[in-house]
Amino acid sequence: MNDISIVVNSLRARRLSTIITASSVAVATALLLTMLSLRTASFEAFQRGTGTTHLLVSADSSPLTAVLNGVFYANAPSNPISWAKYQEIKNAFPYDWAVPTQQGDSFRGFPVAAIAPEFFTRFEPVRGEPWQLAQGQFPSKPFEICMGSTAAAATGLRMNQKVFLTHGSGSSREGEHAHEHAEYPFTVVGILKPSGSAHDRVLFTDLDSSWILHAHDRREREGVEGLTTLADLKDEDRKITGILLRLPTRPGRDASAAVQQQFDSLRRDTSIVVAQPAQQIDRLRNIIGNVDELFIALGVAVLLSSGISILLSMHNSMAQRRKQIALLRALGLARMRITGMILMEATLIGFAGAIGGCVLSLIGNAIASGSLKARIGLVVDPTLDPRSTVIIVAGAIVLSALAGVLPAMTAYRTPVADNLRPEA
Amino acid sequence: MWADPATIAPMTYAVQLADVSFGYGEDFSLSIQELTLKTGEMALVSGGSGSGKSTLLWLIAGLLRAQSGSITVAGQRMDGVHESATDRIRARHIGLVFQTHHLLPEFSAQDNVALALMAAGEPEKSHAARARDLLNKLGIERITVPVANLSVGQQQRVAVARAIACKPTIVLADEPTASLDDASASQSMDLIQQACQEAGAALLCASHDRAMQSRFERVIQVDSFATTKRARAKPGARA
Repeated sequence: MNDISIVVNSLRARRLSTIITASSVAVATALLLTMLSLRTASFEAFQRGTGTTHLLVSADSSPLTAVLNGVFYANAPSNPISWAKYQEIKNAFPYDWAVPTQQGDSFRGFPVAAIAPEFFTRFEPVRGEPWQLAQGQFPSKPFEICMGSTAAAATGLRMNQKVFLTHGSGSSREGEHAHEHAEYPFTVVGILKPSGSAHDRVLFTDLDSSWILHAHDRREREGVEGLTTLADLKDEDRKITGILLRLPTRPGRDASAAVQQQFDSLRRDTSIVVAQPAQQIDRLRNIIGNVDELFIALGVAVLLSSGISILLSMHNSMAQRRKQIALLRALGLARMRITGMILMEATLIGFAGAIGGCVLSLIGNAIASGSLKARIGLVVDPTLDPRSTVIIVAGAIVLSALAGVLPAMTAYRTPVADNLRPEA
Repeated sequence: MWADPATIAPMTYAVQLADVSFGYGEDFSLSIQELTLKTGEMALVSGGSGSGKSTLLWLIAGLLRAQSGSITVAGQRMDGVHESATDRIRARHIGLVFQTHHLLPEFSAQDNVALALMAAGEPEKSHAARARDLLNKLGIERITVPVANLSVGQQQRVAVARAIACKPTIVLADEPTASLDDASASQSMDLIQQACQEAGAALLCASHDRAMQSRFERVIQVDSFATTKRARAKPGARA
């Protein structure tokens, strides 16, 4: 028999109350841990789309808009960049790669990006994780489409199906005012595996196809009949909306100084906007940071309320336990020792709750991780961040111990003789 | 803090009280010029309801503090020392038996007895074996089930086992038979007295039952100590 066995017996005697209070701590702990995981996941999701890109060039109004449009496909960039400008930028510096992209079309609300073949062979959507095909192949000739995993799941398109793209971001067929490129069916030749980035919502095709569609529109406006081919393209048709750039790097070397130098060099050209995606994402994080702090505050409030429930539960039980405390005192246990036992009881509830919360969060994260990746492409790491876990678990235990102070003081002050007399 | 060795009296007496006074305001007071109980001696504290029998026991146990005078248990002073010292003396040298047993209902018989051993500072590894031996000796077989599941008679045995577990110098029994019928009361007192005899412990038993007097060679009339007693007793404050 020792102090811990007395405490454990006492907790067992109030099994229901113990389970309820420990569960409230567990739920609060799990909520906080899951919120932190989701916060980290959302920040990482932002980072994931930029992949191996060092610099992004566009003709948007600001670097942040350039990143939102070029990496996260928020809107189709409004201003194009000429092919000549792309050649000029590409040839002015020995980039590792320079991938031109063109946006503007859509399919059932999902953005379509026309890209150069290097997009699939050189650019990685997530550093260290190159593109992987779930089915089929990457587009190798005009009017072929390779679909992001989310877009494929949402549209239900299968391999070799024909699709018609829409000019702008309206929905094909359903869109009242959208202009559908009805003359040019595209064939689905590949479906990508989830990358956990915004690219998963996109349908990818080649630049030539996109240019032909828009040249065809021009020729129609000019009154030229018949289908348009590559031979009909003029220089003005060869437009892009963004350039993903990567500087040459050596393994283990920090490229940030070279990136900054090239960033400054490109910014001298006022006809384009240059963005360092990583910097812009940090800006974005700062902007939305306050919102997730609100969620964290909510989690802390839940944890505090669970502390209060421990306090109430133990405080209420003290009335019933006066005889037990008086008896322990009569047997010779010192006041401080009994006070310590009550504190230990509260701490054990907090400890059990916090551990339960970790388990709950791990299970929840594992389920959410699979579901979120499959449904919206958001990658949530199912493991717990050790630092925040230690802080939250320690916080829950300390809070529980603090909740035990008032009941412990009640135990300390319990008069012995009065509580040992038989009730009248 | 342990009692000053200079104040430790020889172990001829289990309990010595000298010039002890205690009171609850103007309602009630006890004044004891001298009261001693020899080692192994058994005495009955007799008196009517509210006469101060339990108060006397609680004063000896250190659960109430005398306003003046000295109380010595097993040669160690209970007065004028820190509360933690009286706790240790109580744990080591005093066994308590209550009218309503005051067992922890969710604990097993073995654990209830082990509690007393733990409080007395006995090595933890010896608790289970000693409690088991003692309970077996007193005829308790279901020692691992919660005591709430035992009969009243068995619960009384567990309470007695707990009181003598740490081989106390004195057992203080407060109205141990008050809620029992005559036959059960007789059996219960046999058990307590026999257990104390075998443990070599003195016994001070408080009872308002005059029939108990025949069981003891010595009867202490507590009414003789009461100097003030008014009809309005302090709620829950005295026997």
